[in-house]
Amino acid sequence: MSGLSENEVPSAWADLSIYIAKNTPANSPTFASRGFGYIGLTMYEAVVCGFPAYHSLAGQLNQLNKLPLPDRNKSYSWVLSLNAAEAFILRSIYIQTSNENKLKIDSLENVIYHFVADTIEDKQIALRSVAYGRSVASAIFAWSKSDGGHRGYLSNFDGKMFYPNGKGSWKPPFFAQQITRLPLHPHWGDNRTFLIADTNWKMPDFIPYDTLNNSTCFNQSMLVYQTNKKITQEQKEIAMWWNDDPSETYTPPGHSYNLASIVVRNKKASMIKAAQTYARVGMAVADAFIVCWRIKYKFYSERPSTFVNEHIDSEWDPFWPDPPFPAFPSGHATQAAAAATVFAGLYGDSIVFTDNSHVGRPRDKVKEVDYKPRKFTSFWQVAEETAYSRFLGGIHTMQDNQVGLNEGAKIGHHINELQWTN
Amino acid sequence: MKQIFFLCFCFIQSVAYCQKFTEIARAAGIVNQFEVYEGSFGGGATAFDFNNDGFEDLFIAGGMAPDALYLNKGNGTFENVYEHSGLKTAMKYITQGAVSADVNRDGFRDLFITTITTKENKGKIPRAANLLFINNGNGTFRDATKEFGLDQLLSFSTAAMFGDVNGDGYPDIYVGNYFNEYSGKLSLIDDAIIVGSKQMAKGNLLINHQGKYFKDEYEDYGMTHKGFGFGGVFTDFDNDHDLDLIINNDFGYKNNSNRLLENKFPEKRFEDISEKMQMDLGMNAMGTAVGDYNNDGLLDYFITNIRGNKFMVNQGKGNPFIDKSDRLGTKINRIIDSDGAYQPVSWGANFADFDNDGDLDLFVANGCLNPFVEPNPDYYFENVNYRFINKSFEKNLVDKGVSRGSIVFDFDNDGDLDLLVVNQKPINNNYSNSSPTLLYRNDSVTGNWLKVQLAGVETDMNGIGSRVEVSVGKLKMIREIDGGSSHSSQNSVIAHFGLGQATEADTVRITWLGGKEQVLVHQRANQLIKITENNNGKGHSKNYWLLLLLPVLLMGLYGMRKIKKRLNKI
Repeated sequence: MSGLSENEVPSAWADLSIYIAKNTPANSPTFASRGFGYIGLTMYEAVVCGFPAYHSLAGQLNQLNKLPLPDRNKSYSWVLSLNAAEAFILRSIYIQTSNENKLKIDSLENVIYHFVADTIEDKQIALRSVAYGRSVASAIFAWSKSDGGHRGYLSNFDGKMFYPNGKGSWKPPFFAQQITRLPLHPHWGDNRTFLIADTNWKMPDFIPYDTLNNSTCFNQSMLVYQTNKKITQEQKEIAMWWNDDPSETYTPPGHSYNLASIVVRNKKASMIKAAQTYARVGMAVADAFIVCWRIKYKFYSERPSTFVNEHIDSEWDPFWPDPPFPAFPSGHATQAAAAATVFAGLYGDSIVFTDNSHVGRPRDKVKEVDYKPRKFTSFWQVAEETAYSRFLGGIHTMQDNQVGLNEGAKIGHHINELQWTN
Repeated sequence: MKQIFFLCFCFIQSVAYCQKFTEIARAAGIVNQFEVYEGSFGGGATAFDFNNDGFEDLFIAGGMAPDALYLNKGNGTFENVYEHSGLKTAMKYITQGAVSADVNRDGFRDLFITTITTKENKGKIPRAANLLFINNGNGTFRDATKEFGLDQLLSFSTAAMFGDVNGDGYPDIYVGNYFNEYSGKLSLIDDAIIVGSKQMAKGNLLINHQGKYFKDEYEDYGMTHKGFGFGGVFTDFDNDHDLDLIINNDFGYKNNSNRLLENKFPEKRFEDISEKMQMDLGMNAMGTAVGDYNNDGLLDYFITNIRGNKFMVNQGKGNPFIDKSDRLGTKINRIIDSDGAYQPVSWGANFADFDNDGDLDLFVANGCLNPFVEPNPDYYFENVNYRFINKSFEKNLVDKGVSRGSIVFDFDNDGDLDLLVVNQKPINNNYSNSSPTLLYRNDSVTGNWLKVQLAGVETDMNGIGSRVEVSVGKLKMIREIDGGSSHSSQNSVIAHFGLGQATEADTVRITWLGGKEQVLVHQRANQLIKITENNNGKGHSKNYWLLLLLPVLLMGLYGMRKIKKRLNKI
């Protein structure tokens, strides 16, 4: 294999995965998170049998009892298996993407295949590896269809559902990110989680609705308002960096998946370690969104803008337009904490690295913010800044963020507790 | 004593009564309500005299409900003659709004109706053509959508406007599309097409070829823009006698913003000058009212929004527009009602001199976003020394229904402008206001007035896009003939001017689209003048210079004293 190391293949597929997530219309953080879960898991399962020290997740995940096994007596090129599996799962999960994007998937698959297969004398090995990778991906895709989120982009909103409308209930925003007046994916919390441990979730505590001046509830929104009114340039940069607007970027879980690529490249991870990183991060963000949505629709709480407009300042608009779903807890915080926890589980918490995920995006002329790379010294610092950005954006209270971080960390721990090695 | 008191009471009552608008829809035979299919889309109307009897009739789009064609019977009432009008193929569609012009120049107004999808096949794909109905001249219409080459243009269209962009006398059409258009076979629909259909859409620039067919020449005219389009207006913002284009887009603060496109006629090109003119407004732009509110000879634009409507004041000669909504008193961010505070959502808007005092007032139709129904009373901004005061309560215009398109026209030909407001049915059945479409008769105490109806010969048959200027002393008032504005609607094509106490207009100057001028002098007040384009080749007509000299001669005859006297009256 000249010019391409097998260790580069996982991140090449991760790059294409976030590209597809970004460039497929009607994507949502929920649907995208689910995609990364299956794409990451597939990558790992397509190669794990080639590495005796590592353990498959078949039998450990929710209703995933078994996956195809390779023929012990025959040789495989594991990178070709990974390559074929990623192409298959990406095409399957994103059947709604454009033909142009589907060609990009074919093209990456072909390029890597030829780089590798052309160096293998026994063509049967190459063909067998491709077939095995596809069989693993096909089994995972078949399993994915029954989780409740399959083709979820066709049912982003439920106009027939009854939504609470009382005091403190979420109201559709006027300064809004989306056209719809309905909340996104109200049934997403009912989806099957990847982890059995995430199936039943103990609901966190929630500060009761109270409009009295200086009540705990009042102060939560007041702090969002006061901070927003005198937001500094640096705070704006933080807010915009983690904005991850689904209609313009690869969504918040995509940002976490890209952080995995940054870490994998930074640590020069081997193919199996890289694949495991994507599997952990993918499932972390996927389960984070399911659990978070379950809590969101349980409490159905309003955004700070609703509270501020009614009780503090009727003309205030948050720094960002409001997203179309209830506030508590922050989905961004939940998935960032889950991702940080699995990163720390694999690499230790402390790491010096630069997040350049949004470098190259043009200056936001309306907000007057440039997208500058951000430096971090630990994974948890990333999670905390991610959460904080929602507060600066004016769309979440500190409570939303703190609870999101707490719950997300639990999800990450559940993933770390799986049996990953023999 | 009792009698005197009673008389006083009656006098007060009658004064109060006379300063108001009176809602008479049901009494006048208009029982109408727009029904939404999805989201909050739709509801527009056009005022057009389809049988040329001198009384303006109405077409109102119905959405899920049937459309309506209201024949103005000339006695203050209307009759819905939709049943035998030939318009019924539109019943298969979910209609949004309508505009009217004489597409084939046969002397009868035709109809263009925007649609978002069909009723039979309400799939996730917007797959309906917009509809063109040609007036048969006998009180009926025929569906000419296919005949005019429009049946294969499948789109999710909100609003359209007529305007002759290429100076051939045939009205062209701009169609504002909200979601992506889709062209292809139904059998080919897959997930990609379904999700792609909810993306921003380009508009259509339908060029009218000699009244025979339309062709979408959007790209040919250099237009590439996409947006969540709510139509816009054809308007000559820079007074160079061609029709430029203002395009409204929803969600412009995070998707593509509003556009101002300058017509480079005689070149076949529109140039995007939105940024330069600071008309790249990032807002939830729903509709536009066009009018010179301060009588400085430059058209200004009121653009409706969710909260904070924009009042874009024209600064002339290449200078950027300035939003003066705050300074002019039209910025309202919150509606405080007896049972709560609500976000105003504005849709239709109309500049009109409702009180005939020589300046333009402004009506704004507000309506909540179905299915989240809450009170959203309309605004009536009275122009007082070129500032605005909301007098909707005093004027009996505080309807809290779910309003969308609004139009002005003089349905009873009494010289003041009446209002039609298309209302949506509230999806929440418990809402206290049943929200029917409203017809407001203008019963204000009014000054004198003048109405001008244009008949183009080389230019558009109804003068759409042409300019009428009426001067009284130093006061010069301009009107641009509307080819579609407000929200998915179109006002009367008859220009209306309030003259205050003046008993005549000193001059009535027509600047036909293209720049040819025609001037009448000393036109007495309180009449409708019909002016036919003087067909004498290019540039100014033969009589133009003669007419221009007339005021000078007349001034000599009458002397300066009379002029001064008249000025004092204004």
